[in-house]
Amino acid sequence: MTSSRGRGLIIGALVLLLAWLVAWPLVLTLVGGLRDAGAWSLVHVRAFLDRPTELAALWGSLWIALASVALAAAIGVPLAFFFSRYDFPGRRILGAMVALPAVLPPLVGVLAFMFLFGESGFLAHLVRRIFSLEAAPWRLAGWPAILLVHGYSMFVYFYLFTRAGLASIDASVWEAAASLGASRTRTVTRVVLPLLRPHLVGAALLTFMTSLASFSAPYLFGGGFRVMTTQIVATRLNGDDGLAMVETTALTLVALAALWLLRRTDTDTGAGGSKGTAPARVAFRKPAVRTLITMTGWLVVAVLLLPHVTLLLVSLVPAGTWTTEALPPVYTTGNYLTLIHDPVRARPLVNSLWMATAATVASVGIALAAALVASRRRSGGARAIEALLAMPWAVPGTVFAIALAAAFSVNQPLALRFVLVGTLLLLPLAYTIRNLPITSRALFAGVRRLDPALGDAAASLGAGRWRSLWRVTLPLLRPSLVAGATLAFVTAFGDFVTSILLYTYDTRPISLEILSSLRQSDVGVAAAYGVVLMLVSTVVFALGADRGSSG
Amino acid sequence: MTALRALAALTALTAYRYSAARSFAVATALLLTACGSDGRTPMLVYSPHGRDQLVLLEHAFERERPDIDVRWLDMGSQEILDRLRFEQVNPQADVWFGGPSSIFDRGVADTLLAPYRPEWADHVGPGGIGPDDLYYPAYRTPAIIAYNNIAVPDSQAPTDWDEILEPRWRGKVLIRDPMASGTMRAIWGSILVRSIRETGDTAQGMAWLRRLDAQTGAYALNPAILNEKLLRQEGLVTLWDLPDILISRNKGMPFGYKFPVSGTVVIEDGIGLVRGAPHPEAAREFIDFVGSVAAQALAAREVFRLPARRGLPPDSVPAWVTEVEQEMKIYQMDWALLSERGAAWMSWWDQHVRNTGARAYPK
Repeated sequence: MTSSRGRGLIIGALVLLLAWLVAWPLVLTLVGGLRDAGAWSLVHVRAFLDRPTELAALWGSLWIALASVALAAAIGVPLAFFFSRYDFPGRRILGAMVALPAVLPPLVGVLAFMFLFGESGFLAHLVRRIFSLEAAPWRLAGWPAILLVHGYSMFVYFYLFTRAGLASIDASVWEAAASLGASRTRTVTRVVLPLLRPHLVGAALLTFMTSLASFSAPYLFGGGFRVMTTQIVATRLNGDDGLAMVETTALTLVALAALWLLRRTDTDTGAGGSKGTAPARVAFRKPAVRTLITMTGWLVVAVLLLPHVTLLLVSLVPAGTWTTEALPPVYTTGNYLTLIHDPVRARPLVNSLWMATAATVASVGIALAAALVASRRRSGGARAIEALLAMPWAVPGTVFAIALAAAFSVNQPLALRFVLVGTLLLLPLAYTIRNLPITSRALFAGVRRLDPALGDAAASLGAGRWRSLWRVTLPLLRPSLVAGATLAFVTAFGDFVTSILLYTYDTRPISLEILSSLRQSDVGVAAAYGVVLMLVSTVVFALGADRGSSG
Repeated sequence: MTALRALAALTALTAYRYSAARSFAVATALLLTACGSDGRTPMLVYSPHGRDQLVLLEHAFERERPDIDVRWLDMGSQEILDRLRFEQVNPQADVWFGGPSSIFDRGVADTLLAPYRPEWADHVGPGGIGPDDLYYPAYRTPAIIAYNNIAVPDSQAPTDWDEILEPRWRGKVLIRDPMASGTMRAIWGSILVRSIRETGDTAQGMAWLRRLDAQTGAYALNPAILNEKLLRQEGLVTLWDLPDILISRNKGMPFGYKFPVSGTVVIEDGIGLVRGAPHPEAAREFIDFVGSVAAQALAAREVFRLPARRGLPPDSVPAWVTEVEQEMKIYQMDWALLSERGAAWMSWWDQHVRNTGARAYPK
């Protein structure tokens, strides 16, 4: 009895905490859209509904998000199977490198796409030379460009989640299916994929939300193509704050509807019995097949790392020298020296490091507590927790930052509003909240895959609750913990859209330094920062892959 | 009972969270002061002027006032406005340095600025001065026609707004998204104001902008992208501001520019004291410094800023300043009208003109 009451208390406390941090700022935003000149009014809502361009932008956001999910799944899931199931030389390191698109830094990363796939980019040069064309064969603009960037950067969710899921499927499951006469395809479609469903749904949700909230890609490549995030910024820049609030609310509602639909399909699949043996990998005896598989692995990674290589290349180019040539004519290390020479320019790296670390620890902690108390329950409180945890990505980062800044720029302790604007706290807090969907999706999926019998077994063997948590649950959750923490850290470390509104002089992060360099057309210096950001993120990923995959 | 307990738990939890977070913040703050502060007064500037210029002025000012530590954050002028609004309860910045008067006016409306009449107040204006000494112009930023001068020889570059509509530039024009840029808004505004003056309404101006839309190869939402596209000849001609083009040129980019012969808009770039600034004394010193003869000449020499201050000694300013002032013809813009109707114009353009040119004017 006490245990269930304690659980209830924790659930209640979590609901209230999340409601305060996640929902409250958004409610304040919603209210803002319904007020005009100090009174309740529908004038902004009507303005929104009257404009075909607004609905076009909403529709654009929606179908781009759906297409991004399909594209990301089509790339990420097969890759996850490939690198989890097949054994070939270099599998571990290549498997980790496939996740590297997630470390492509904001702004300059997208810029690398322009250098690579743009009409004056490397690929276009190649095609022009091969077919001796007069003009560029294509233009990197509009929805194809946005989808390209989305598919490339978001398949990582499917890849990591599917791999985490595959790691937690016991070898006995595959063996049982095989011994019952199921072919490999049948085993995958009828046994493995259903078991992976929590992970796949989690990845789909993250992709959908990220795409809906995506700003950099449409901002740099959208051109005339309308999506809601750039529309909101344009409206704000035009000084129409009320309409911007309605636009925000409309986008949030679409996201919440999607969240609700996906939650309905995300039924409890039950946990598989586990004997604790890792699934065996398929090794190939025939040298030809083995070579083919190995080459495929290397080729995939090479293609995926093209933008990173481009960025490295750009960071070595002096300003203004690379114009119409296929490859840069001159190289220099000057851009890196610029970074080292000025201590003021090194500070953002330190800032981003400590803020991303703090935010990762906090969001993993909250998500772990929530997953342990709520993931297996169907009570109202449990459902509220899950919905609240997914919410921060239902709104674009810019708008969430605005909501946070607005909510915490007033000192009304009774309304639980404190002045956090201008303090060191606000940005790490924002990172923490923005990371909750990532960490909680990973941990909820992880906990759902756990066999409850294990906890019972530990209890019947005399282990207390903490001991059972520490010795049984956490070790089993390690892949999910690491996947969530890694993604959370990298996301916070490279964050741009939230930071741009909430940073102060003492918390200026690395992405703002990149922006500041871009503003001066110092693309080389910006790229050098990007490379540094990429390296740190890569190290974190490498550590994560090392700690996570063996669990 | 359960509800009460839950509430108690929440209070405890939030209090714990808050205090834990606060002690964490205090610890970090201590750490930062331990390695950061050196006894100087830290004075924070919000500015869209970019690193090169800010570093230049920071060092020059700190040489004069070694007791002040100039810090700056580099951001768009619209972002400055947003930031100052949020920070009203806990102001961080001391000086707002840069942005067109239309944005400073919105700062005035939101009471974000404090009055200060700089020492050099008599040498600038009358344009660009805010009401009640709330802001003063520091530089003048003319709009220009810029082009890639490898692909376009100087003799063939367009010399006036209407020439950009010639068939040879079809699909070759790059436009910085006008919703997000003060410079572009000023250019759009000047075209619409001209239309109103000539015909009484904006229809003619919007038709002109629709033809420009037909010529436009790409809208760039970000100035860095605009620069790269122009550099890599993804477009050949653009409308932009003079200092940015001169800075890019100085960095080796093959850009040329022309002043439109029929006249161009000149934005008055302001500076003002933030209301509730934590270090108002240092801020006033800095504002005085920015408009001083030495600093105005320095900015003109090193970062291509056209001084707002009149009557600078001819030998102190570089030759380009004199040339530009002779060459450029200023269009007498109705700034009040732009402040008043600009948002509605831009919104109409965005909904009814953008992306409609190609259909209205097929090749």
